[in-house]
Amino acid sequence: MKYWDQLSEAYNRPLKGSLDKPLEKIIFIHLATSLPLPAERDHIRPRIDLIVFMINIQSKYSFKNVEASLSHMDAKFFLGKVCFLITGAGRVNHCSVEMNAVRKLGNLHCSPVIFCELDSEGIRLATAQRLLRILQICAGHVPGVSALFFSSLMKSSIDE
Amino acid sequence: MQQRESTKNPKQALHVCRSSQSDLSEWRIGVKTAGPKSVDLKSAEKYKKEKQQSASDQADNSTQDHLEQALTYFERGKIKDCIPLKKNEALQKHLATVESVALQRGLSPEGLDVLLNVALSGRLADTVNGRILKCLIPASLIAESSVVSAVSWLCVGKCSGSTQLLFLRWLIAMFDFIDHKEKLHALYGIFFCSLQDEKQCPYVCHLLYLLTRRENGESIQSGMQPHLQALLSLYKLLCPELVSITLPAKMKTYFRNSASLWKAAINAIRRRNQGTSPTSQQLNLGTAHLQSRKRKWNTQLILPACNAETNNPIKSEEVNHIDILSHSESFPVEQLHTFSQLLQNIHHLEFPSQMGSVLRNSLLLHYMNCVKDESIYLRLYYWMGQTLQEECTWSKIDNEQYEEEFKDFLDIIYKTECFLQKGFSSCEEFLYKSLPFWDGFCCRSQILRLVSWIPLSNFSEIKPLLCEPLAQLFFTSSLYFKCSVLESLKELLQNWLSWHVMQLDVEADPKISPLNSTLSGLVNSVADLIHFVGWISTVALRLENNATFLLYFILDFYETVCDVYLKYNLPLLVMPPPGVFYPALLSVDSVSLNQLCYIMYRYRTNLVAAKENEQIKKTILQFKFSSQTYQEYNQYIMAMVGCLWTSSAFQKDIHPQGIRLDPEVLKKTRVQEVRNSFNIVHHPALMGYAILFLQQAWPEDKTLNFNLIKGRRWNWYLEYLYMQGFQGLKLFIESSINRVSQVSQTKLGNDQDS
Repeated sequence: MKYWDQLSEAYNRPLKGSLDKPLEKIIFIHLATSLPLPAERDHIRPRIDLIVFMINIQSKYSFKNVEASLSHMDAKFFLGKVCFLITGAGRVNHCSVEMNAVRKLGNLHCSPVIFCELDSEGIRLATAQRLLRILQICAGHVPGVSALFFSSLMKSSIDE
Repeated sequence: MQQRESTKNPKQALHVCRSSQSDLSEWRIGVKTAGPKSVDLKSAEKYKKEKQQSASDQADNSTQDHLEQALTYFERGKIKDCIPLKKNEALQKHLATVESVALQRGLSPEGLDVLLNVALSGRLADTVNGRILKCLIPASLIAESSVVSAVSWLCVGKCSGSTQLLFLRWLIAMFDFIDHKEKLHALYGIFFCSLQDEKQCPYVCHLLYLLTRRENGESIQSGMQPHLQALLSLYKLLCPELVSITLPAKMKTYFRNSASLWKAAINAIRRRNQGTSPTSQQLNLGTAHLQSRKRKWNTQLILPACNAETNNPIKSEEVNHIDILSHSESFPVEQLHTFSQLLQNIHHLEFPSQMGSVLRNSLLLHYMNCVKDESIYLRLYYWMGQTLQEECTWSKIDNEQYEEEFKDFLDIIYKTECFLQKGFSSCEEFLYKSLPFWDGFCCRSQILRLVSWIPLSNFSEIKPLLCEPLAQLFFTSSLYFKCSVLESLKELLQNWLSWHVMQLDVEADPKISPLNSTLSGLVNSVADLIHFVGWISTVALRLENNATFLLYFILDFYETVCDVYLKYNLPLLVMPPPGVFYPALLSVDSVSLNQLCYIMYRYRTNLVAAKENEQIKKTILQFKFSSQTYQEYNQYIMAMVGCLWTSSAFQKDIHPQGIRLDPEVLKKTRVQEVRNSFNIVHHPALMGYAILFLQQAWPEDKTLNFNLIKGRRWNWYLEYLYMQGFQGLKLFIESSINRVSQVSQTKLGNDQDS
């Protein structure tokens, strides 16, 4: 999680300039190592617009952890408010999770799979901006485009 | 060891003179690399480095001595047969010295010669042989004679099978470092015989693949392992009459990567040699050119200095017909400098064994273009595929620091593709493999430009490989990325269409056709591509809130689409989807509206021409535009004329996704004169011009009464618009609106009835 700060920093950076309409609201990023979230703070938790599951492809545990967490999710999130962020694919020799397994997971949950190399600043920034765009849509800030519509666009047809 | 001494001395002398002149030379370099501003800083830094360098040089000298001792030890042959390493301290010591020096600085040709002889003579234990072979990193070049003598050791059969294998792998990895290859070519038969050895076969195939020339077109009988396939496919291209087996058209990775053991060390030494100083005595591969910049690609992409036979240079005047007919003598490519030389020697040119070097040599590219030899592409294919994959900066994150070099390489490939007007299949495969992992940012323009050269093939095959990863990136990336993707897809379409036109001209045999089929295959693929772009454009306009900039790129794409029939002679017309047409028609930007008018005019011209052709020929044409195309066009034209001309946009539009509205609903909007709101006077894209026109025509009238533009003034206003550069609008109005009878202005063009 050491890169989270930078990632979330990159998250907030583009808000100032590159988007023509800055989101008036502040983005809250909630980090959790696994699901479910503790029940006691449920009443003060803000609305969740997008859930990003980070999977380190170099660790089997990471993959299993996400798989286990997915079972705790409310089904409505899978209507376009989930995405998988796969890290570590740039070192093929160190991968311990098969690429196919990751893609299958994405298809199974009707959610896009995005690859990101946390070690590289350029890729980190570019990916953060992509996630931000997805978030913008999921939060309903793009008129005429719903999260569900968007997830249907991102769906790959390979499994069909 | 006199030889070695002599190579050492001039180097030291050079060091001295370099340090005294460093200011001058560094100034020159500073100018070249960093521009005049940072000269002072740079040269100061360099000077500091230089100082450190000279200190380390002294240390170098002592290691050099150790190396000398070690080499003498190995050379004199005081070693008894097959002593185990553990019991021999001297051997241990010398081996360690050789290893460390080799990995740090590489070995001289003489050193390599000595060590190769020892390793393959079988005098030492296998583990020692292996260790020696693994550290045989050349500092500059490898003498051909050492390789030849090494091969002769193989024939004696003194060393074990594993050592032989390792040697073959080494030979493949170092192939480009060998200074001459003529004698090696003479050993072709020997390598060919060792194809029978099952274990060696893959490597021998790879080696033969590198060595094979036209005269080696012999045939072999064998199973169909990939490495044999590779070799066979090369044979087949060179001598098709001798290879009767059919080979699969799509190629895969043929050879195991032999260079992996040495690659890191070679690169390290290369960088070290280039990094120390440009005047360094140590040669890099092919840096005979003085201007070599500090780039890794140079070392791979410059022509190898010596390659072809140099014993009997052919003088151009003496060329006679016998020479031209016999292929035995070839003109050395490194002597090829001018275009006239190329023309004079075009019949006996032989490509360098390092095919990658062709990419930077425009003369050889000309030659490549004119000989139309598929074997050239085959030879490039393997090298390029592997290089792309190995150096890709996001598939292998460790390469990240070399992004500039990778960009440079991609640029060269793109330029070559443009020059040859042909995409490389290895490049296509690289895109398919790496696009899913791409962030859409690094090397963006290079990658997207390569997309435009993807060879024409069945679209249903390309779709999951190209379109899906590209669409995912497209939807989640910035406006500028979207525009660049549209631009490169437009170029892809144009390249496919140009290819089709060229095929029509050549009337080539159908074997060459990538679709291996008829015109219908081509039509379908092109149509699918256009539909795909239509789909992503519609979505993108939604996502980006109908951004004008984006609309420009989309309409630019359709400027190619609307002219496919007349300009590229392909019986296909695809109308833009309503998601593109209506945003352009109702755009607030006059450029988009003008562009749309021009596109609709070209659609009309194409459709009319198609109709005429159909009527003239009377024969049953294989391809006809479906009535649906005409219908769609008519619906759009009705909407457009209704909007811009007859002020009846909300009544006349009959497109199911159009802007037709019930009068009841319109009344509820309480907008005055709803009917007029999109005609050429009131249209949001043109209203500014209408105001300027009014101000010029009636300077005293401040009320801006648009209703004044009527009748004759309407025509004046049109002339005014044309003068402002609305050529698209002019063409559209003059072609699609029948203005002969001013009374029935609503009547449309001829093809309305068709």
